[in-house]
Amino acid sequence: MSNQYIIQPDLTFINEVVGLGGDTLKKCFQCATCSVACPIAPENSPFPRKEMIAASWGLKDKLVGSADIWLCHECGDCTALCPRGAKPGQTLSAIRSYAISEYSSSVPVVGKLSKMVTDPKKLALLTAIPAAWLALMAIITMFMGGVMEKIFHVIGLHWYHVTDAPIAQARFISTWLVDMTFVPVFNISLLIFAYTLYKMLSDMHANALAEGKTDKETLDYKAYFNTIPTVLKKVLKHTQFNECGENKNRGTAHMMVLFGFIGCLIVTTIGFGFLYVLGKPGPYSQWWPFKWLGNISGIAIVFGAVLMIKERLGKPDLNAYKDWYLLGLVLTLGATGLLTQMARLAGMEIATYAIYYIHLIAVFHLFAYLPFSKLAHAVYRLAAMTYAEYANRK
Amino acid sequence: MTIDKAAPASASILVVGGGISGLTTTLEAAEAGQEVLLVEKNPYLGGRVIQLNQYFPKLCPPTCGLEINFRRIRDSKNIKVLTMTEVVKVEGAPGNYDVTLKISPRYVNENCTACGACADVCESEIDSDFNFGMNRTKAAYLPCEMAFPARYVISPEIGADDKKRVEEACKYKAVDFSMAEKTLTVKVKSVVWATGWKPYDATKIDNLGFGRHQNIITNMMLERMASLNGPTAGKILRPSDDQAPKTIAFVQCAGSRDENHLPYCSYICCLASLKHATYVREQYPDAEMTIYYIDIRTPGQKYEKFYKKLKEDKKVTFVKGKVAAVAEGDNGSITVTAEDAVTGAKVNQTVDLVVLATGMEPTMASDKPQADLTFNEDGFIVNDFTKGGMFAAGCANKPADVMSSNQNATGMALKAIQTVMGR
Repeated sequence: MSNQYIIQPDLTFINEVVGLGGDTLKKCFQCATCSVACPIAPENSPFPRKEMIAASWGLKDKLVGSADIWLCHECGDCTALCPRGAKPGQTLSAIRSYAISEYSSSVPVVGKLSKMVTDPKKLALLTAIPAAWLALMAIITMFMGGVMEKIFHVIGLHWYHVTDAPIAQARFISTWLVDMTFVPVFNISLLIFAYTLYKMLSDMHANALAEGKTDKETLDYKAYFNTIPTVLKKVLKHTQFNECGENKNRGTAHMMVLFGFIGCLIVTTIGFGFLYVLGKPGPYSQWWPFKWLGNISGIAIVFGAVLMIKERLGKPDLNAYKDWYLLGLVLTLGATGLLTQMARLAGMEIATYAIYYIHLIAVFHLFAYLPFSKLAHAVYRLAAMTYAEYANRK
Repeated sequence: MTIDKAAPASASILVVGGGISGLTTTLEAAEAGQEVLLVEKNPYLGGRVIQLNQYFPKLCPPTCGLEINFRRIRDSKNIKVLTMTEVVKVEGAPGNYDVTLKISPRYVNENCTACGACADVCESEIDSDFNFGMNRTKAAYLPCEMAFPARYVISPEIGADDKKRVEEACKYKAVDFSMAEKTLTVKVKSVVWATGWKPYDATKIDNLGFGRHQNIITNMMLERMASLNGPTAGKILRPSDDQAPKTIAFVQCAGSRDENHLPYCSYICCLASLKHATYVREQYPDAEMTIYYIDIRTPGQKYEKFYKKLKEDKKVTFVKGKVAAVAEGDNGSITVTAEDAVTGAKVNQTVDLVVLATGMEPTMASDKPQADLTFNEDGFIVNDFTKGGMFAAGCANKPADVMSSNQNATGMALKAIQTVMGR
């Protein structure tokens, strides 16, 4: 051996990956069946065999900054063929989870949230924060309208959005307050992503160079960003996901949820425009096309989430908290969104507000904890897939 | 010795299985003065060994070893042999067992001189089990060249017309269709189970394509092909077109060390494939061979030496990485896919012939007699020496090569003798 490489195992890393659902990783005996079983692994340095040995040796640096861990869509084909029950699919998922924590915990000030989001014991606290904040917002809206109108008058705005609808969420928590909460929270999340992605991209490039997985010497950001549309097309079509053999159904379910979220994002943006540009506050008529889109999107989210939950319940060994947290959140978001509307249309005022309150708490979870939870995969996987495409990973 | 004559009412030791382990236990116990009843399910003795072309590591043919054992059996007054016989039930305790045996009809009696006149006239054919279905034999057949007893067998599948023809063709009145399945009981003091193994059913390993692609064969099929008395008269050929293969891939651990199939190491397949490479080399000096493996397991000095010697062959390549996918290409060629775990690159190699190194499954994994035996979850018999009385030898107990099977079978002969002596 000409290249000497002294292994420095990071035992904490091994234990954490084990704790995050990679408890079988030590069973691997490196037969490499998984790398062949994987329908989407590249020809050069395929995964997940090399990830399995790196994880079992505690070589954190070879994994956390590797784009390959994100190319895996956890279809489970490798796990099905694995002769040792080492479950490479689940191990990679645990490594991804670790990588999310690793990057998001490096963010100044809010980095601490990372540990909390993956800890089931902290769920109550993480929910209590938005619950208390939103309760305060509700009190302000319901009891301090006069004061708020005066304050808004000073800056030349109106506090009240006038609507003649018998029930309107804005009477429970003012749209102003909702937006003043979520717009900053969402933007902070975007900033956090910008911060972690910058780090991650240079790590991925360094890793690819070290392992001979790219033909690019230096990372050209412009070329990288120009690659995004190509990859986005693949993501929307679920090209990679649909190559998975073991659990094809998950591909469809995931697609429903993804499109549901995209639909809701579009509807929210339009609603934003209606309110602040055209000065038309909700609730809007059910006959408006963007309401249809909103309803279809909500149904898609609920349906997709239920399908994924059903699928996961059939596999009792898949019980990592990170996965259930995300699925639970998705289902809650979709269900409370639809139920709020249904209760409102049914004229049930208290129920409308109560469900809306839960919905907003869920939205807070979605936006505020996004960079720290499994949901961050939406951003990191896109970044890694784009890198792989850009770097000519084949 | 008596063979397939009227069964005895008692014996001191019953040996179940007439393969290399059973033969050894039988002989060691009989030559130490015990009365031994040896029962064998097949119509011949010799088990898996008699199907081989050569033993490793010395590469001698199975005649060497089996012949001398058959001779010793013939010379011993203490041995009684029943072929086509299975154990149905064992009742009782150490020193006093009642064993129920089931004897299937051979339709040929001891008058047979193995002249072959019956096979000449017989028109119905059956798949040759001995050659793993690679060819067909007449329904009246000699099970194998070295068959002991050297006596023909008639398959129950024989046609009605053929029955008449073979009966008339036999000059020695050896054909007897009045034979029927018989059940009988014997009293013995100790039982040694040497029920051996069967090749793991390769069609169960879905991703390795056996049964879907003609040019994917198993190691035991190659063994038969390489044998002069085999279906191709000793030539290693591609099943699809009977051409000589120029490139061959050996797939190790086909079903072994795999929780989805056989979770254990079958012990012999590495050496078997290395040995097969020598068969190929002898016939085809230019053939290129690749052996795909997880770990090459060649325990002991002699086996390690065998491995080292083969590594000197420049046209034999070793790739650390299990083949996990196969595909058929033009002209029956097969592309095998593995990840070379040393270089970290995926290997797609197209070869003429693929040999799956399928492992051993204990015979008892599927056919368990009613007897007070303890099995592990894989179907191997666990020896309980405190309880005693019944013992497993050879591959009924664990995957093993011929050498360790023989050592183990000798030890079990002693254990059985101790039971008989009441120690």
